[in-house]
Amino acid sequence: MLPLPPRGAPQLFLLAAIAALVGGLSALDRKGALQLMLSRPIVLAPMLGWALGDAQGGLLLGIPLELLFLGGVNLGGNLPDNESLLAGALTATVVPAGLAAGTGVDAPLAALGLALLLPLALFGRRLERASEERNIELMQQALERAERGDPTAARLNLRGLLLPFGAAAGICALAVLASPMLALARSLCRGAQLAALEGAWHAVWAVAGACAIRAIRDPRAPALAAACAVTVIAITAVARGLW
Amino acid sequence: MIPAAKVVHSLRRVSKPALARVFLRSLFLQAAWNPRGMQNLGFAHAITPALEELYPDPAERAKAVARHLEFFNCHPYLAAAILGGAVRLEERVAAGEAPPEVVSRFKRALGPPFAALGDGFFWLALRPVAALAAAATEPFLGLGCVLVFVLLYNAVHLPARIWLFATGYARAEGVVEAVARAHLASGTPLLKAAGAALAGALAARGVLAAGVPGRPYHALLVATTMVVAWVVLPRLGATRAVYGALLLGLVLGARFV
Repeated sequence: MLPLPPRGAPQLFLLAAIAALVGGLSALDRKGALQLMLSRPIVLAPMLGWALGDAQGGLLLGIPLELLFLGGVNLGGNLPDNESLLAGALTATVVPAGLAAGTGVDAPLAALGLALLLPLALFGRRLERASEERNIELMQQALERAERGDPTAARLNLRGLLLPFGAAAGICALAVLASPMLALARSLCRGAQLAALEGAWHAVWAVAGACAIRAIRDPRAPALAAACAVTVIAITAVARGLW
Repeated sequence: MIPAAKVVHSLRRVSKPALARVFLRSLFLQAAWNPRGMQNLGFAHAITPALEELYPDPAERAKAVARHLEFFNCHPYLAAAILGGAVRLEERVAAGEAPPEVVSRFKRALGPPFAALGDGFFWLALRPVAALAAAATEPFLGLGCVLVFVLLYNAVHLPARIWLFATGYARAEGVVEAVARAHLASGTPLLKAAGAALAGALAARGVLAAGVPGRPYHALLVATTMVVAWVVLPRLGATRAVYGALLLGLVLGARFV
């Protein structure tokens, strides 16, 4: 039988509704409305984690995701990977799975979840392109209405928010409903498998660090980052008496 | 001699509540972003409260809305300056002091340079630095690091947006000079240098987390993976690099139990 959160199926459905709301709103903040950066993984993952019952677990997911996608920038028509959709869905899967498995969010669970859901970042980009194509229709409708003498034609602007909200909300809700399967996979892992998954999570951190340095688009960035990294490691080593 | 009708029209100003509505709607500038008109629908939607006061006749107002449905693209924050300036110019157009083309020329002229300025400062400098600062403070602040990011970013972003809109409305074409004096471009290299240092500190954290306590080979492996990932990232992309790292970590992690 699949492991469920402590209060069973009703709690799972409640969490799905919460994830849908938070995930949908974050999709709006990402581009269409406000852009307060509440949709960035470093905010969204702990915020959604808190709403689902484990803010610290959300933060464990959010920081490496933020670093991985730090360099993704929406310049003109160029679309980056959708880090918000991934952060929302990953948190919506991993946090309830941690509750159900009784382990909380740990490195093995995070690595398993990321391995399964990473393609969502690319899928989210396609989804965004589809939404933009739909917005062309809205623009044409607005033009026609304005030419017919309708001064309220531009109100159609807000309809452009519906598709991103609905798609992200649906995906985050499904992510919660799929979380018992991840919990089952996590609870089946033992010694060597757990060590392997923990190693995988460290390796993800390594790529995240490299992505963070690449995100600073400045020719001096690699040298500055390397100097700072060596300094921090040296100071820590001295402070802990390793040298 | 100025015709009496023109004098009456030149006194028409958009009210403060309407300006506030224009600004609030500017926060939804990209709601219907599309590849053909880009932010055109958002711009027309945002400026509509001002047009409602300037053009009481619905047919005239619809014509003005149609004018603003032309192609428009800018950085979503810097666009606030253009929006404010466009409202000011619309007042002149409504008063008959300027032809409608003035507004279009203003938007076309300022869109690309302001976009470049906003992309460089907000997307490529402030946002990464705020995120890196938050991530770097996580070991000390825990969940409080989220507030570090939100506050650092929005303490600059929100006042900037309000100032840009207000300055755009107050000065119209003169907003270029005001934005040039805001030192956005000159502050960008400093922010990037801070970002690079923070990224290095975070990379060190990843290495230390894997290697302490008493696992020097883990630290070495993570450091090597990081350098290799940095080299291959442009060719491989983040997704493949992550899957490669997951695979490598699974294989090596199992061996280092």
